[in-house]
Amino acid sequence: MDIGTGHAWLIPALSVLSSLVISLALLLKSVHVLPKNGSYLSIAAIGSGFLLFFPILRDLLSNGPREYGLPWLLVGGTEIRWSMLLDPLSVTMLGLVTLVALCVQVYSLCYMHGHPRFGWYYAVQSLFAASMLGLVLADNLLLLYITWELVGACSYLLIGFYYEQRSAAEAAKKAFVTTRLGDVGLLIGILLLFKVTGTFQLSGIFDAVATGKLDSATVNWAALLIFLGAMGKSAQFPFHVWLPDAMEGPTPVSALIHAATMVTAGVYLVARTYPIFLAAETVLSFVTIIGLITTLMAALLALVATDIKRVLAYSTVSKLGFMMLALGSGSLAAGIFYLITHGFFKALLFLGSGNVIHATERQDMRELGGLRNSMPVTTATFVIGSLALAGIAPLSGFFSKDEVLIAVREHQSPFVLVLTLFSLFITGVFIARLVLRTFFGAQTHDSSHYHEAGWNMTGPMIVLAALSIVGGLVVFPFFGEMLGLGGGFMEFINPSSGAHGNAGATVHAAQFDTAMALLSTLVSGSGLLIGWIFYGARLWSPQAISKRMTPVVVLLENKYFLDSFYQAIINGVVLVAGLLVATFDRVVVNDVAVNGLGRIAVFAGDRLKYHVTGKLNNYGMGMVVGAVIIAAAAFTFLS
Amino acid sequence: MIPLQHALIFGALLFSLGLYGMLARRHAVMVLMAIELMLNAVNVNLVAFSAYVAPGAFVGQIFAIFVITIAAAEIGLALAIVLRVYRNKATANVDEIDLLKW
Repeated sequence: MDIGTGHAWLIPALSVLSSLVISLALLLKSVHVLPKNGSYLSIAAIGSGFLLFFPILRDLLSNGPREYGLPWLLVGGTEIRWSMLLDPLSVTMLGLVTLVALCVQVYSLCYMHGHPRFGWYYAVQSLFAASMLGLVLADNLLLLYITWELVGACSYLLIGFYYEQRSAAEAAKKAFVTTRLGDVGLLIGILLLFKVTGTFQLSGIFDAVATGKLDSATVNWAALLIFLGAMGKSAQFPFHVWLPDAMEGPTPVSALIHAATMVTAGVYLVARTYPIFLAAETVLSFVTIIGLITTLMAALLALVATDIKRVLAYSTVSKLGFMMLALGSGSLAAGIFYLITHGFFKALLFLGSGNVIHATERQDMRELGGLRNSMPVTTATFVIGSLALAGIAPLSGFFSKDEVLIAVREHQSPFVLVLTLFSLFITGVFIARLVLRTFFGAQTHDSSHYHEAGWNMTGPMIVLAALSIVGGLVVFPFFGEMLGLGGGFMEFINPSSGAHGNAGATVHAAQFDTAMALLSTLVSGSGLLIGWIFYGARLWSPQAISKRMTPVVVLLENKYFLDSFYQAIINGVVLVAGLLVATFDRVVVNDVAVNGLGRIAVFAGDRLKYHVTGKLNNYGMGMVVGAVIIAAAAFTFLS
Repeated sequence: MIPLQHALIFGALLFSLGLYGMLARRHAVMVLMAIELMLNAVNVNLVAFSAYVAPGAFVGQIFAIFVITIAAAEIGLALAIVLRVYRNKATANVDEIDLLKW
């Protein structure tokens, strides 16, 4: 029997199984029985998932998209199905998630080596990957929501992995609560769609939207609520605050969260439900605006951050905004293309920063410098990732970024395009600053004892670096045809070729626009050059500039005061409301209602007990008096 | 024939006597005897009303026999209890038997 799209369910199932086995072994305190404390099991599961991706892709290309599932629940007349959708979009994501998760898990073998909760780490990693794979495959909004929340729960566990540190526990809580705000919106959106269409199946909902059965207000509300969920998960303004704090987790986890599993879920959600968004033009403009704000403000924040992981975190936020911008500009393919290439080089950058942290145990770039001599492989791969992030030809970031820019140019005003280019310029500056201050320049510490990481740390990085270099070429039809995609990546991913084709979808074919390529390269290159002037050649002093722009720097260093603002809201509204409710509970419910009733009983009993004298005569007298009263009453009222 | 009023007055006197005895006596056996008096007062009333209201039907008489039967059973049980109390507390004074007092 040929392995094909029908076997896609195996991929998440294997990871769930490995997670369950490791968790069970942990419960029985016998995780050491498993090979390498269970880590090999987890890697084997995700590795087989990655290998399964190839026959699935081949089957998809030859037999087209497929949808299948099992009946799950029958509620009233509504059947809820446990179903999966295999179309170009989900299969592409399948490949990205399995590959990055595999790289990260191999990398973690060395990075997490010797940690007391090593087995637990792999159990959660497996579950995390499985949840994301389930999310990618889900063809049912209810199933999608379940896996969506599982992704959130796993990210909570992994961000707070070093929960002995208070900051890590706080960061995990912040990530969970912030994304939950958006999740509420998503849930309401799903229920709203169910109410008006009577189904959770994507195809049914898309059909209802396409045939115009829903009025435009409903579609707009549904799209807005779904986007709210995506904003939380994908760290869009103003929900982005959790992502930089999530750096408290182990660095491989950051790589996974940023490249494949967590934050891309939001972008994927919008892409998955794209027909709804295309029918809701108001919301699509909202997506554009949020994406633009996010990409700009995060890029500026990355300029002043000093922790290397935080710089990368802000760059992720910025690039997520960039993807949303592409989706808002009507180009699903460009957004997903950027997501994939970004997945390669961002995972690479995080793993590289993990090498630096592992070797030096420092992550503030003011304390780092000149690591290129002691860590050549890390430096080389990191530079490749940085150039891809900046969008320098011919690396993957160059092609994917240009597709987004073309989409923006065609569907948005020139003003939006200029701001987008500005964010690319800033990207060039901050990534140059990061590379130059960490790997080049003077050595700030004795680096003789720093040494390059082992093969299972550098190996995944080399794989990712290779993909970062060549990954962008799939955009060209001739290259895509070599892989059997039947055209370039953009034609492959276009929604019209998906199972839920939408006639109104803006089909954005691949195009190589020389003018745009030159312009974007000029912008990125000048950004890198400015960065080099400041931090490489040191012709200008950044301190002098920041002194002249003190208000701006203060604003950026305090992250636009958003964190303080949220804290003020929490202190002033949430905690005060909580105090009021707690006081009501203590005083009214507890003291008056519950204890009050008890006191009445105690008081009454204390007073009334005295009639029980134990004297027979008293009781007899009582009976007589009672009988006389009853008799008198009977005579008076009955006769 | 004795008029009905005489029988009723006699019954009332007997009942009051029993009532007084039940409330005023301290000895448990005396209290029980007073209760017997009250029951018999009721019996007198039942028989008297039966004889005057529905002569020949013997309804009241039969009812009186039931009362006597129940009273015998009751007094048997009560005397057994009094006996057990006396064995345990060496007294049959109802004022001193106040275990269920507050």
